[in-house]
Amino acid sequence: MSTSESEDSTGLLRTVLPPNQVDRVFDFCGENGWKLLALGAVVGALPPLLGLEQGYYMTVVSEMYLFAILALSWDLVGGQTGYPSFGNMAFFGLGAYVTAILVKDFAVAFPVALIAAGLLALLFAALIGAVVLRLRGHYFAIATLGVLLAAQQISRNLDITGGASGKILLQVPSGTVFYYLFFGVLIAEMALIYYLSNTRFGFILNAIRDDEEKATAMGFNTTYYKTAAWMLAALFTGVAGGTYSLFNTFIDPQTAYNGAWNVELIAMALLGGSGTVAGPVIGAFGLHTLIEFVETAFVGWQLVLLGGAVIVTVIGFPEGVVGTLREYASEMAYYERGGMAAVDSGEDTEVTADE
Amino acid sequence: MSETTEPDARTAAAATDSDRAVLRTDGVTKRFGGLTAVDDVDVEVQKGEIVGLIGPNGAGKSTLFNCITGTLSADEGRVYLQGQDVTDWPEYKIARAGLGRMFQETRIFGDMTVRKNLLLAAQEGGANVGSLLRRPDDTLIERTEELLDYVDLGGLAETRAGRLSFGQQKLIEFAMELMAEPDLLLMDEPAGGINPSMLENLIEYIRTANEDEEATIFLIEHNMDFVMEIADRIYVLAHGERIAEGTPEEIQNDQRVLNAYLGRE
Amino acid sequence: MAVTQFVVNGLLVGALFAAVAVGFALIWGVVDIINLAHGEMVMLGGYTSYWVLSLITGNAEGSPALFLVTVPAAIGVLYVVGYALQRTLVSRVIGTDIFLTLLVTFGISIAIQQLAIQAWSANPRSIQVSFADPSLVAAGLVIPKMKLIAFVGAILLTVALYVFLQRTRTGRAIRAVSQNPEAAALVGIDVEHTRAVTFGVSSAIAGGVGAFIATILNIQPQMGLIYTLKSFVIVVFGGVGSIPGALVGGLLLGSVEELTAGFVSSQWTLAVSFTLLIVLLVVKPNGLFGEGAEQ
Repeated sequence: MSTSESEDSTGLLRTVLPPNQVDRVFDFCGENGWKLLALGAVVGALPPLLGLEQGYYMTVVSEMYLFAILALSWDLVGGQTGYPSFGNMAFFGLGAYVTAILVKDFAVAFPVALIAAGLLALLFAALIGAVVLRLRGHYFAIATLGVLLAAQQISRNLDITGGASGKILLQVPSGTVFYYLFFGVLIAEMALIYYLSNTRFGFILNAIRDDEEKATAMGFNTTYYKTAAWMLAALFTGVAGGTYSLFNTFIDPQTAYNGAWNVELIAMALLGGSGTVAGPVIGAFGLHTLIEFVETAFVGWQLVLLGGAVIVTVIGFPEGVVGTLREYASEMAYYERGGMAAVDSGEDTEVTADE
Repeated sequence: MSETTEPDARTAAAATDSDRAVLRTDGVTKRFGGLTAVDDVDVEVQKGEIVGLIGPNGAGKSTLFNCITGTLSADEGRVYLQGQDVTDWPEYKIARAGLGRMFQETRIFGDMTVRKNLLLAAQEGGANVGSLLRRPDDTLIERTEELLDYVDLGGLAETRAGRLSFGQQKLIEFAMELMAEPDLLLMDEPAGGINPSMLENLIEYIRTANEDEEATIFLIEHNMDFVMEIADRIYVLAHGERIAEGTPEEIQNDQRVLNAYLGRE
Repeated sequence: MAVTQFVVNGLLVGALFAAVAVGFALIWGVVDIINLAHGEMVMLGGYTSYWVLSLITGNAEGSPALFLVTVPAAIGVLYVVGYALQRTLVSRVIGTDIFLTLLVTFGISIAIQQLAIQAWSANPRSIQVSFADPSLVAAGLVIPKMKLIAFVGAILLTVALYVFLQRTRTGRAIRAVSQNPEAAALVGIDVEHTRAVTFGVSSAIAGGVGAFIATILNIQPQMGLIYTLKSFVIVVFGGVGSIPGALVGGLLLGSVEELTAGFVSSQWTLAVSFTLLIVLLVVKPNGLFGEGAEQ
């Protein structure tokens, strides 16, 4: 898709959009992150106030927020910490079922049920994390996928979850409530991750991603930090799942523990640029819009497209939008900022490739 | 000198000396299957010293390092850091107790900026939640500038560390250790793989760190000129055993060392 | 007596799991990739056999001999599919991040699965093989003939792979690439081609097994992921690169599932095997916990 485009037209791109311009945009965003986030919060809060209350587009936008939450949560562990989970939807499903059961069977108020869903997802993550976070690479990925499928099977067989037919929830708040709920959670999560990414905690997560053994040799108990990130991701994913069960008015094992969604949110994070705050959100908005379009135009083909999109992204575009732009922006910076001066004395003129 | 309570009666005689030692190993032994990689090795590093560890390939130097850092657990023997028995501690805890380490292949965090690498290395505040969740303060940022200027990489603070050359990465790793100010720094072949002029610089940086900041350094090295020039004392390992110890001059004239290097038993 | 019957059922099905897992392990060992689309090869093999049989007889029913004719077709088609997938897509991510390779094969899995739904609908199908006398009874144990044929077929495929790897020139090349791709290239082995052949052979075996599965269980476009996961369980149990290990692992997994189905409920078999996967990953320490945790 965009790969051939960016490769063929680099010459043109350079004149229209020089790297240092892009670099300046990044600097601007870096310096004004909080202001940009606040601006986004205001803009996002407007539509319902302007009278756009119900209907198809509000639903689609709410879903965009939902996927942004999921992608950002995945990225906290997958992109920032380097533990790519194929089982995040387990937290989503758990949150969805806890909320649905509490609201429907125990007549618990929705907000209370939602908090319970988040906390239970957090607790579940602590337990599962103690097991799976000891694994790396293939083993971690497959073990998390196993957790997801086991959770799906269990909910299919229990009575309290309604078995394979799931649960139908009829008394639900209006669409505007869900719009603000998804949006509020998203903004809160973005703010939190943005803040954390500039703290020591955030640095340690990145260090674990880049070289966990070195991080240990530097005195960091990595288990502690990656478990914390994993639990935080579970909290947001669980709350999103809880909100979704009522938003969707229906929940069954297939929707709650949706393996395809798990791949979808990874693709979103990757497409936008993993390891950043804006990347997963951009990716979620972009890919969801595309999938929504395909779903309307060619019913039933959206998952074929998803598979294709994942393959194209990974093969041609693994750094994502933000990552690719950042690389582009910084290609001159190394030399401008004294890279050459520093190596003048020696022969190490080449920049070490990191791919 | 304070008499730290040392339950081991054997060490009581040498207590004063040993307590001053930043690092002391006592009969460290490590076996891999039938092979004894490190055999009953005692070493001691005093505060402010630069001590070299040399030996032919496969002599067990890196294994000894790994036993000290807690990456491997020794089968026998004890490791003391600042008089404290750290033998069975987990690796991260030993590091936190004041042990820094530079790897042979040079390891930095490639996808993070150079500045973040340095900020991460600063040990201030340790693992308490408050300092984990605060942004790094200005003094720390100034310190990173200072150290980067010191190793002549001043303009590269915001560059992704993975973009730097191997030699530059080595300097960053060194600057990270200066940032951390460990009580003892283990360096595994610092001179390996970098060009002669950069080696000159590195010697100077290590010297200055040793003289001005009282950094204590224990290093493995294959480059004999380098180690003879920089070390105060040298230990020699061969087949896992400590076969000699002394000043660079003594080592250079030691027949057993020559034999070990020439392959004579 | 019930226990013996369940174990026999388990062993019969387990051989099929094992044969699928052997191919999965081979790709893992040689190409260093976890092929999350491996289960889709089983699915495609089942459908190939189904459609070929339908072409011959007009519907998906036939005599055992007629069915057996369709198995080589499934093997051949899946060899081509596997070879082509490796050559065109998977080869592009070899040597990059593990996670990217997983994601690409997962993408392939979803795309194949969804295309299959579009083409053949999501309804389960099966091949009906007609026998005059469907089951053998020996010492009180009931052994359905078709299950026995499938069992023998799966074992034959596994043994054939073993012989292929040990005795043929290509097999030796595959083993060489598995041990050291650079050295293999130096002695003149076309590494890319060898990897693609590995992919092809592994997929072919999965395809052949898929044909047998279509006769004794259902086939359905979304069946694949479960077989991939089962393969992973078996390989983790038996050890990467060990064909006997995979065989034992497969037979064991089959038995555990049948015992669960017999004593608890067939609904719980999948939950049990996935839980088993997680437990195995935790308790079996060798080679599982982070690379370099032990030097």
